[in-house]
Amino acid sequence: MPEGYDALVVGGGIAGMEASLTLGDAGFDVLLVEKEPSIGGHMIQLSKVFPTTDCAGCITTPKMAATGKHPKIKLLTYSEVEGIEKTGKKFRVRILKKPRYVDENACIGCGRCEQACPVLIPKEWEYGLIGRKAAYIPFEMATPKKALIDLDNCIMCGRCERACPKEAINFLQEPEEIEVEVKAVIIATGYNLFSPEKKKEYGYTGNLTVIHTSANPNIIHGMQMERLLAPSRPYHALVRPGDGKVPERVAWVLCTGSRDKSVGNPLCSRVCCMYSIKQALLYSSAVPFGEAAIYYMDIRAFGKGFEEFYNMVRELGVEFIKGKVAKIESRNGNPVIIAENTETGEIMEEEYDMVVLAIGLLSNPEAVKALGVELDQYGFVAQPQENSNPAVTDKEGIFVAGTATCPKDIPDTVAEASAAAAQCIAYLEEVGS
Amino acid sequence: MTERTKIGVYVCHCGGNISDYVDVEKVVDSVKDLPNVAVARHFVFMCSEAGQQLIKDDIKNLGLDGVVVASCSPHLHEKTFRDAAKAAGLNPYLLEHVCIREHSSWVHSDNREGATRKATWIVKTAIAKISLARELQPIRLDVEREAIVIGGGIAGLRCAIDLARAGSTVHLIESSPFLGGRVPQIYKLYPSGKSGCEIVEELIDEIKRYPNIKIYTNAEILSAGGAIGDFKVTVKVNPRYVGKVSDDVIAKCPVEVPDEFNYGLTKRKAIYKREHSYPDIPVIDMDACTKCGECNPDFDQQPQTIELKGSLIVLATGFKPYEPEEGEFGYKVHDGVITLPVFERLLALSDGKLEYNGKEVRDIAFIYCVGSRNEEHEYCSRYCCVATLNASLGALEKFDGLRAYHIYRDIRAYGKYETYYEEAGKKKMLFIKYDPEEPPVVEKSGNKLIVRVKDLLTAGEELEVPVDLVVLSVGMLPEMSEVFTMLRVPFSRDGFLQEVHPKLRPVETAIGGVLLAGACQGPKDTVEATASASAAVAKADTYLVKGYAELEPFIAEIDPEKCDGCEECVGECPTSAISIKDGKAVVNEALCKGCGACGGVCPTKAINLRGYYYDQLEKMIDSVGGD
Ligand SMILES: Cc1cc2nc3c(=O)[nH]c(=O)nc-3n(C[C@H](O)[C@H](O)[C@H](O)COP(=O)(O)OP(=O)(O)OC[C@H]3O[C@@H](n4cnc5c(N)ncnc54)[C@H](O)[C@@H]3O)c2cc1C
Ligand SMILES: Cc1cc2nc3c(=O)[nH]c(=O)nc-3n(C[C@H](O)[C@H](O)[C@H](O)COP(=O)(O)OP(=O)(O)OC[C@H]3O[C@@H](n4cnc5c(N)ncnc54)[C@H](O)[C@@H]3O)c2cc1C
Repeated sequence: MPEGYDALVVGGGIAGMEASLTLGDAGFDVLLVEKEPSIGGHMIQLSKVFPTTDCAGCITTPKMAATGKHPKIKLLTYSEVEGIEKTGKKFRVRILKKPRYVDENACIGCGRCEQACPVLIPKEWEYGLIGRKAAYIPFEMATPKKALIDLDNCIMCGRCERACPKEAINFLQEPEEIEVEVKAVIIATGYNLFSPEKKKEYGYTGNLTVIHTSANPNIIHGMQMERLLAPSRPYHALVRPGDGKVPERVAWVLCTGSRDKSVGNPLCSRVCCMYSIKQALLYSSAVPFGEAAIYYMDIRAFGKGFEEFYNMVRELGVEFIKGKVAKIESRNGNPVIIAENTETGEIMEEEYDMVVLAIGLLSNPEAVKALGVELDQYGFVAQPQENSNPAVTDKEGIFVAGTATCPKDIPDTVAEASAAAAQCIAYLEEVGS
Repeated sequence: MTERTKIGVYVCHCGGNISDYVDVEKVVDSVKDLPNVAVARHFVFMCSEAGQQLIKDDIKNLGLDGVVVASCSPHLHEKTFRDAAKAAGLNPYLLEHVCIREHSSWVHSDNREGATRKATWIVKTAIAKISLARELQPIRLDVEREAIVIGGGIAGLRCAIDLARAGSTVHLIESSPFLGGRVPQIYKLYPSGKSGCEIVEELIDEIKRYPNIKIYTNAEILSAGGAIGDFKVTVKVNPRYVGKVSDDVIAKCPVEVPDEFNYGLTKRKAIYKREHSYPDIPVIDMDACTKCGECNPDFDQQPQTIELKGSLIVLATGFKPYEPEEGEFGYKVHDGVITLPVFERLLALSDGKLEYNGKEVRDIAFIYCVGSRNEEHEYCSRYCCVATLNASLGALEKFDGLRAYHIYRDIRAYGKYETYYEEAGKKKMLFIKYDPEEPPVVEKSGNKLIVRVKDLLTAGEELEVPVDLVVLSVGMLPEMSEVFTMLRVPFSRDGFLQEVHPKLRPVETAIGGVLLAGACQGPKDTVEATASASAAVAKADTYLVKGYAELEPFIAEIDPEKCDGCEECVGECPTSAISIKDGKAVVNEALCKGCGACGGVCPTKAINLRGYYYDQLEKMIDSVGGD
C-alpha cells in the first residue's frame, strides 16, 4: 500500500507553504512536493516587499521553518510529480525524487563540502551575480538546510567526501520513485521569469563580467536587482556588476516582456510597476544622492496601500517618465536609454550607470503537465468559476493557488492560497474519509 | 520566587541588518558573565534551522531554564522561537524575544556605539525579566462549529457555502430584504462574461442545498460582542408584511416608486421582489405603501429579535460606490452625466438601441478616477479601470454605431485584464490621458455634452469631445456599519477595515475571531472578493474543524488573598471581562485582552498581568538602573 495523505500540495513557494500550513493547522495530513532543493520559491529571493517594505527574508523564513517542522506536513524537496491518476475518490501520485548525492538524513548543513569543493560556477539562486561550488547548500536560509552535488559540474575529485564529517556524500545515489495516495491536490507551481535576452533591443545578454558594445553587464533584470538590494546581498554592498562601481544614476524599464506582443506576451505582469517603485525607494536609501528614473506606460498601483506607496516614492524625488523605451545602447560601459517621451513627443537619449529591466512573470505550464488540468491560452491554470470560486480547476478535487493562475503579488497570492485550502477542506469534509 | 540561573542569551546578526550597526560581540560580552546567564552566543540568522538548533541543543545539553533571543521584532519570530523552545522541552513562555533591529540597529544606523549600548540594555532587561518568569500555559477554548457571517453579498455567500460544506452551522445576516449585494446590478461581469444575476443565482442555488445555513434578511444588528469561541449577536429581523404571493398579486399594487435597484431608471411597486435572489418572498416598502390591502398583506407582523451565537464572526459588509458631488464633472447639473453603476443598469435594461432619458446615445465619454486617487480618497479603487473597459465593450457589442472615449489617468488593466484594454483599442475606442491638476470639464452645448480636456498623449493638446453621455467611473468607499464599533475592529488609513498584516495575516483583524471577507477590506472585484472570502473560511476552519482555539496566556490574574472586592477594576475593564463573585474579582479568560488597565487602578495590588508580574517589572528597571 502506498503512503496516504489528505492532500498533495505541488510547489513550495509562498502559495504552497501557506496552503500547506492552513491545511496542517486544520488537522489534515499534507505532502508538499517541491522541485528545487529548498522550499521558499521566488519570495525568499526578494529584497523587501511592497507595500509594507518588510524584509522578504524576515517574513518568509518563519513560514519556511514552520512548514519544515509542522507535524502534519511532510516535505519532499528536489522532487517532481510524474503522473497522477484518479481511482475512485483518490488520486494515485507518482513522484520522482532526484538524487542529491548527499544523504539528507546524515547531512547537518555545515557547509564543509562547499568549502572543500574546487569548482566555481555562477550561482543560479543569485542570478549569476556571484558564484557557487559544485557541492553546495542552495542558500543561507534553505529549508531543508542540506547540501547537494551538482554532478554536471562536478570533477569527481572527492574532496567533499573527505571533508564531510558525517560521511553523507554518496555518489551512487539513484533517483527514487515514490508512490502515494491522496484525496485532493493543490497546484501552487508559480511562475517563470521572462528571459530578457529575448528583447534584443534592450541589450541584456546575461553576461555579467565582460563589457563590450553588445553585452553590457550593467543592464540587469528585476530579480538581479532584488538580490542587489536584499539585506543578504552579494558583497554586502550595492555595486553594479560590470566594474563594482556604486551606481549613481539608475533607470528602470517597465513592461520588459509584458504587454508586448513582439515577444509573445500580451499580458500585464501585475507586479513590475510596484516592484520597480519599491526598488527605486530601496535604491534611494542605499545611495542617498543617487538619481532614480522609471520609464513606464501606465503606473498600475492598484492594490491596498499601493497608490499611497507610489505617491510617497514620487514625492521623494524618483523621476517618472511616460514613454516606451525603444532601445538601450552602450557608451563607455554605461547603458544609454533611447525612448520617446509620450507626454512631450520628444526622443530622449539618457545615459545611466545601470539599467534595470523590469521583467515580467510568465506561466509555468511544464509544471502542471503531469496533473492534467485545463490551461488557458497563455499556459496558466484555467479557472472555470473565476467570478465566484477562483480556487477550483476543471478537475474535481484539484485546486489552484497563487501565480499558477496568472501573475500576482504576494498579498493576492496568500489570499488565494488560503482560499484553495478552504476549498480543499470543504471537499475533504464532504468526500469523507 | 526563586530566580532562574541558567539563562541562555542569543544575539542575532540578521545577516547584517543588526550586526552592521550593533557590535553583537560586545553585546554578548557584556551579558555573558551576569549571574543568571549560563551561555551567551551570537549567530548570523537565529531564525534559520541552524540557529534554532543551536538554542535547542543548549536547552538540552546545558539544561537551560530560560532563554533570551535578541533579534528582529517579536511580531515576526516570537512564535518561531517559542516553538523551538517547546520542541526542546522548555516551557515556551520561559523564552523572551526582544527586538534590537527595529528598536536599535535600524533606527540608530548612524551611531554604532549608541546602538550597541541600547541593544545591551534591551538584552539586560530581558534577562532580568526571564529570571523571574513563571511557567505559563496557553488558554485553550473549545470552539463549536458555528459561525456568523455579516453581509450577504458575493463574499458573504461564498463564506456561508464554504463554512457549511466543511460542516459548520452558519448564521448569514443581510441588512437588505434580499441576498446578493451589488453583483446582481452588473450587466456582464469580467472575466467570465456572465451576468451578475446569473452568478449570484448559482450561488443562491448552492446555499439552498445546505440546511445548516440559517439566513436572516431584512435584518438589523442591535448588538454584537464576545470573544473567539463565544460571540453573541442580536439581530432584529424586520417584517416583510406579506407572505409568498404570485406575481399577479404584486401587479395589483397601485403604487409606483423609483426602483433603487435600477437607480431610478425604472419604477417598482410598493410590494416587490428580486427575481434572481433569495428569499422568494416579496417585501412591502412601508414608506410607499398606501395600505390598500390588494396584496393580502399582514400589517400585524412584528419585528423579531433573535439572539445568535457563533465561535467566529466574518465581516462581509462590502462597499458603496462613490457618489459624486453636485457639479463634479457636471454631475446632477447636466442631463446625461451618470455614474458607472447606473450605466451598468442602463445596459442591462436597454434593448435595440441605447437611450438615456428618452434620447438616443451614440457617443460616450468615460471619465476615470472619479472619487479615487485624489486628496480626499488617496487610494486607487482597483476595479474601475477594468469594469469601465468591460462595460464599454459590452455596450459596443450590444448596440450598433456607438463611439467611446476613455478619459483616463493610467489604465490599470492588470494581469490578464490587459486584454480588455487591447480589445478596446481594436474597437477603435479613443484614449485620452488627463492630468489630475487640470481635470476634464463637462459642459452643455445644444443637445450635446462637451468634454474639454488636455490630452497628455499629444503633448497637452486641448480637445473638445462632443458626446451624448458622460459616464463617471466612480471609486469604491467602505460601507459603514455600527457593527464595526460594537466589535471594535480597526480601520486602515483609507477607511476600509484593517487586516493584521497584508501578507502574513490578511483576513484576520486585531480582534481575535473577527475575520474579513470581500470589499469591506478594500476595493476588490469578485475574483478577489470571493478568494478573500474563502481565505477567511480557511482561517475559520483552523478553529472550527479542529474544535479548539489556543490563546496567549497574558491576561489579568487576581490574587484572592489581596483582593478586597472594591470593584474599581470592574469599572475600568474595557472588555467587561471582570466580575465579582463571592466578594472577589474574577476574570473571564476569553474576554480579557491583557491590557492591564485593571492592575493600574487596583488599590491593593491584587492584580498582576501574567507574564508581566510586578517583581519582573521591578527587576527589569533595576537591571539598567546603574548604567
Ligand atoms: C523582481 C520581482 C520582484 C517582486 N517583488 C514583489 C514585492 O515586493 N511584493 C510582492 O507582493 N510581490 C512581489 N513579486 C511577486 C512575487 O514574487 C509573487 O507574488 C510570489 O512569489 C508568488 O508566489 P507563488 O508561490 O505563487 O510562486 P513561486 O514563488 O514561483 O513558487 C512556486 C514554487 O513551485 C515550485 N515548482 C515549480 N514547478 C514545480 C514542479 N513541477 N513541481 C514541484 N514544484 C514546482 C518552484 O520551485 C517554487 O518553489 C515580485 C516578483 C518579481 C519577479
Ligand atoms: C459598476 C461596477 C461594476 C463592476 N463590475 C465588475 C465586474 O465586471 N467583475 C467583477 O469581478 N467585479 C465587478 N465589480 C465589483 C463587484 O461589485 C464587487 O467585487 C463585489 O460586489 C464585492 O462583493 P462584497 O460581497 O464584498 O460586497 P457587496 O456586493 O457590497 O455586498 C455586501 C453586502 O453586505 C450587506 N451589508 C452591508 N452592511 C451590512 C450590515 N451592517 N449588516 C448586514 N448586512 C450588511 C449589503 O447589504 C450587501 O448585501 C463591479 C463593481 C461596480 C460598482
